[in-house]
Order: sequence, then C-alpha cells, then structure tokens
Amino acid sequence: MSYSPTFSRRGLLAGAGALGAGLALGGCATATSTGGSAQQGGAVTLQSDLSSPLAEKAMQSLVAAYGKQSKYTVKLNTVAATTYQPLLPTYLTSANPPDVYTWYAGSDADHYSSRGLLLDVSSVWKTMSNYQPALKTLSTDAAGKQIFVPTDYYWWGVFYRKSQFAKWGLSEPKTWSDFLNVCATIKAKGVTPIGLGAGTGTAWVASAWFDYFDIRLNGAEYHRDLLQGKHSFTDSKVVDVFNTWKQVLPYFDPNGTAVSWQEASNQLIQGQCGMLLTGTFFADAVPKGSLDDLDFFKFPVIDASVPDAEEAPTDGLFASSKTHNSAAVLDFMTWMATPEAQNLWTQTSSGTVIPANPQATSPSTALVQKGKAMLAAASDLTQFFNRDSTDALQNTANTALIDFIQNPGKLDSILSTWQSQAQQAWKTA
Amino acid sequence: MTVASTNSVTPTNARPVASRATGRGRGPKRSWGPGRPSPLVLAFVLVPLLVESVSVFWPAVQGFYISLTNWNGVNPPSFAGFGNYSKMFGDPVFRKALEDTAIWLVLFGGLSAAGGLGCALFLQRERRGIAVYRAALFLPVVFSLTATALMWQTLYQPNGMVNGLLSSIGLGGWQHAWLADSSTALYAQIVPALWREIGYVMVLYLAGLKGIDPALYEAAKVDGASAWQQFRNVTLPQLRSVNAVVLSVIIIDSLRSFDVVWALTQGGPYNSSQLLSTYMYQTAFVNTDFGYGCALAVAIFVLAFGVIVSYLVRAFKESD
Repeated sequence: MSYSPTFSRRGLLAGAGALGAGLALGGCATATSTGGSAQQGGAVTLQSDLSSPLAEKAMQSLVAAYGKQSKYTVKLNTVAATTYQPLLPTYLTSANPPDVYTWYAGSDADHYSSRGLLLDVSSVWKTMSNYQPALKTLSTDAAGKQIFVPTDYYWWGVFYRKSQFAKWGLSEPKTWSDFLNVCATIKAKGVTPIGLGAGTGTAWVASAWFDYFDIRLNGAEYHRDLLQGKHSFTDSKVVDVFNTWKQVLPYFDPNGTAVSWQEASNQLIQGQCGMLLTGTFFADAVPKGSLDDLDFFKFPVIDASVPDAEEAPTDGLFASSKTHNSAAVLDFMTWMATPEAQNLWTQTSSGTVIPANPQATSPSTALVQKGKAMLAAASDLTQFFNRDSTDALQNTANTALIDFIQNPGKLDSILSTWQSQAQQAWKTA
Repeated sequence: MTVASTNSVTPTNARPVASRATGRGRGPKRSWGPGRPSPLVLAFVLVPLLVESVSVFWPAVQGFYISLTNWNGVNPPSFAGFGNYSKMFGDPVFRKALEDTAIWLVLFGGLSAAGGLGCALFLQRERRGIAVYRAALFLPVVFSLTATALMWQTLYQPNGMVNGLLSSIGLGGWQHAWLADSSTALYAQIVPALWREIGYVMVLYLAGLKGIDPALYEAAKVDGASAWQQFRNVTLPQLRSVNAVVLSVIIIDSLRSFDVVWALTQGGPYNSSQLLSTYMYQTAFVNTDFGYGCALAVAIFVLAFGVIVSYLVRAFKESD
C-alpha cells in the first residue's frame, strides 16, 4: 500500500493530460515519419514471412551461420505470412523500420523502390556477376539501380504420376492437341484428368492457368502489360485466353473450386486426378516416398510462334533505405548471395527450390534438374499473377476466374466486371 | 493510480461531519461544498475518459479522417473529400455485401434470438442433470470460432460429413459443394455462427427468466391462464429489458461477424458470401486501400449505431 504522498490531483491530471497530448500528437495514423531514435551499430533486424516450421528453422540456421563468420549480428523476426503482407507498407514507411525483409522480386519491389523506400544494393550485385541476366533485370528498379537480392526460385509445371501415365500408355504431351488427347484418354479411364485446388483460401491457384494461357497465346510482354493496366481484360486477346481454357474446362475436377491445393495434391498422389498444374511448393506436403513417382511436363505449347516463357517466382531480400546500419545490411545481403549460404538454405528447407546463385549446388534430384533446365531454356520468365501485379489485382482475378470456372457461359459480363474492379486496384496502387 | 487517489481522500472521509464543517476555514485546498464533486469522483470520471479518448475516440477520429483520403499505406494520403463514400453507391460488391449483411442480420439474428429463447425456456426448470445440457449448449461460446471453423470446413467438404449424411439417408441429390457454391455459401456459414450464438443468447435469457417473480405465474395459474397465455402475457413482457440487451448483442454480433466467413470462404466464391465486415477487411488489409476501407468501417458503425439507437429510443418510449 505504498504511495507517493506528494501525488496530487493536479499532478495526476497534468501528467495524464501530457501523456494524452503526446500520444495524440505522435499518433497520427497516416504520418509516414514521426522521428525516432537511431540504433546505429546494433544488430540487423531481418523481418521474415517464412513462417512454416520447416522454413523458419532453415532461416534460423542461416542467421546462426552468418553470425559465426561475421562481426555483425542479425536478429531474425518471423511474422506469419498472412499478417506480413498488409504490414509491409507500415514497416517500410515507419521512422525506424526493420532493416532487411524477405519478399518477392519484380513489380512489388519496384513499387516500393519508386517511393524511395528501398536501399540501393548495387554494391552487392558487384559480387554477383555470375547470376543470370534475367535475375538481375528482375532485381533492378525503373530507375536502373538494383534493389533486390534473389536467393532462390521455383517453377510451375503440370505434375503427374509416372506409374499412372505408364499404366494408361501416355507420354508427356508437348502441344495443345497432344494435351487434349491426354485429357480425353484419362477421362475415358474414369479418372478426373485435371485437379485444380482453387477452393477456400487458395483461389489464387486458378490464376496459374490464366497466366500460362496468356503467356502461351499472347506472350510474356503482353501478359505483364495487361497486369500493369496497359491493356483491358475485355481485350479480344484476353477473350482468346478464356476460349482456349473452355476447351479443357470439361476435364477439370468438378469440385476444383471447393477443395484447397493441399487436397488437390493429395488427389494427385492418390490417383484420383491425373494431372495438376502447380508450383513445386506442393512437394513439401508430399510423403517422401511418393515424390519419386512424380514427374512434370512443361505447360503445352499452344501457338508455336510465341516464344516460350515460364513462371519462375523468385524469392529473396530487400532492405529499407532508412536503415542506420547499411554496412552490416549490405554485408549480410552479400553473404546471402553466396553459394555457401544458398546451399545451407536448400539443404535445410524443403529441397524443391533452385538456388539463385548458379555456383550453388541445386538439389540433385531428377525433378529439380529438369525444372532448372526448363527455366534455363525459357526465353522469358514471369513471376506469378500477384507478383507481376499487386495483391489487390489478385483479388479481382480470384473473383473473375472462379466465376468463369463455375459459369463459363457468363464470360462477357465476368470480363467487364473484372476490368472495372481492376481499374480500382490500379488506381489505388 | 486508484490506490493513490483513494488514500489521499480517506482522511477527509474519516473525519466526522462536524469537523468537516469547521475544517472549511483551514484553506481552500481541502474544502469543497456539496455542489462540488470530490476529487475521487473526478478521478473516476476523468481517468477512464482519458484512457478512452486515447485508445478509442482518437483512433475513431483518425479512422474517419483516413476515410476522407486516398491512402495506400505507402504514398502520403491525398484528401478525397467524400469521394470514398460516393464510391460506395456505384460499387456492386458493396451492394452485395450490404444485401448479405441484411440477410445475415435477419436470419442469424432472428434464429439466434428464437433459438436462444427456446432453449432457455426448455432448460429453465431445475431438473437433475440440466446443468450438463446448459453447459453443452454454452460450450461453443468458449471456443474460438476461427479454430472451430476449420472443423466446419471439413464437414462441408464435397466428400465431407454433411454430404455423406445426405447420401446415407437417400438425399444424395441434395449434395452440394456447400462453401464453393455461390447459392449456398452464405447460408452454410450462418449455421456455425448460430451454433455459437444460440448458447450465448440462451444464457442471457436464462438470467432474465430467473428474475421473473414466480408469484406472477401463480397468479396467472389461479386465473386459469394456459401455458401459452402465461408465456404471452407474463414471460414476454417481463423479458423486455433482457430483449433490449439481446437485440443489441445480436445486431453488434451480426455486423461484426467476420471470423467464420473469413476462415471459411473469405467472402467468396466471387463475393457471393461477402459481408460488410469481410469486405472492409479485404479492402483495407489485403488490397491496402485504407481510405475506402475506413469509409466502409464508418458505414458499418453508422448502421450498427443507427439500428441500436432507434431501437433503444423506441424501447424507452414504450416503457415511459
């Protein structure tokens, strides 16, 4: 029951009033800078959205390995992936932001860089001359400076089970008509030819189909421009995309918009569907034994005159331009670009990603080697719908594509709604 | 803070009334007449007011300010006047969300009030083991709906228990992909929300029923009232004050119903189960369109506040 005898009412109210006023002045929600204390020389904070247990552990061992060989220290701060995305602008615009961030290369990084929020990492790229030129382009902003350090990438393909294809007497289709034949054969055997997995929460996987039809029919350049708002979704070239899609729609799993991609990949493993267009991330959930029976083929060529582009979502790091610790930040990012760091990453994580440094050892499985070769042969690389645009545009795509898959007859109205929703998203970005 | 203020006042209160009067001459600091509130009372009013203004009113004002701007969290906000509000009128998704919220309010609100009252009437009499039934009905309130939504999701799967049950009783034709079908998604999600809310409303009504004087029922019985007449003329009028609470709770809960829908469909497929709350969240935190998101939040607030105030005004008029 101790209290200060000098504690007076006036003092209390004055104190509380000062506290309130202080908060009120500093608490303006839209303020982008509120001043703050510099923390020169302290540990570098690494903000990470790799929150799955496997990835988080891999990140922890990376940070520990860096700390052992460097005079700088890195503090890992893992945030759940779903919370990370809406918070990222808040982190970057705050007065005293975390230093380094895991994120995607391409349009999204460029978006932040054009607001002057990202650190110029051109000096790190001086140590990365062995990287593919495509990765450097991807890491360069509109002003021509590098703002991103890629650490790894993965690929999308049409996955199937080798034993099933052998049983049905099928081989990998190369062209669109081959693919339609494969679908018809699988259907005749009483199995759903194509799994989807665009159900609750994972509607975004449907945009892989949209991306691939668009880059196969109209090319990667047109696709990127479309997503940036330079073309309309009511364009006849986009209508072509959907008309081609309609040819395979009868072969899709009728419950494709009701089950998640995790269940769709289970269906593939259990032989309930013949093929699945998916990124290699699905392999994380696959029992080790079943992985050996899995193989994939490149999304079939539809128009031979269009150069082949592939989806190769690239992950990596960027840093805040407001960091007080740029020497340490650049040192850490340089280390993350080395083969040693990336080897450690591919060994400890799921093992289906390709390290960005060509000198790093990719997982030696036939699957990864095949994926790597496919991407190396591609004339152009796209990222993925949301990575080439924004999450707001991804939402409009989810609405439009699921509606199309369920109601292909409503195509015209779906596309005009999509266009008007997309215009809102472009205006806000 | 409270300890300090209480102690600083105690000596004054402990003083006999007589000395209080004589104490008046000892200086202005310790003197207050009957017209002036004591520092304790002032503290009890001002301290919560301050906490409230910093933690509730100020953010609310900020939210309203943001709703008048275009702001994506990265660029500095630009003033847009009432642009975000006029945008709502032309926005088909907003209209859909408004419709769905109205359906939700009527179905979820009506059924949970009726169901809660029904369960309370059924379980009000003390019988052996009645507590088990009450606890069972109240149990869903204890769980997080986001977590239990995962269980409901499994039930609603195309090859889940709901469809399995339907086919086993010969209603295979009624099978649906409940959450993926735009015609069933909204209604399929009202069920888990009801599953939770009924237990809560039941407890409110049980408390209300306990407060009714048994003499009223005895008098009604003596007058030869049937069970229905007792319910109609004794129980319902006596529950009027509880009804006001239940109605406010139901309206607030339906307008903030978010967890089930966000966990199960995120407003999909193609906005067919979009509620105002999910649309607000999606706009602000997924699309990072904070200006429009805040405008939607203001609209939700006005709706909730409007409905509740108009009900309370009517209820008070009736009781006068």
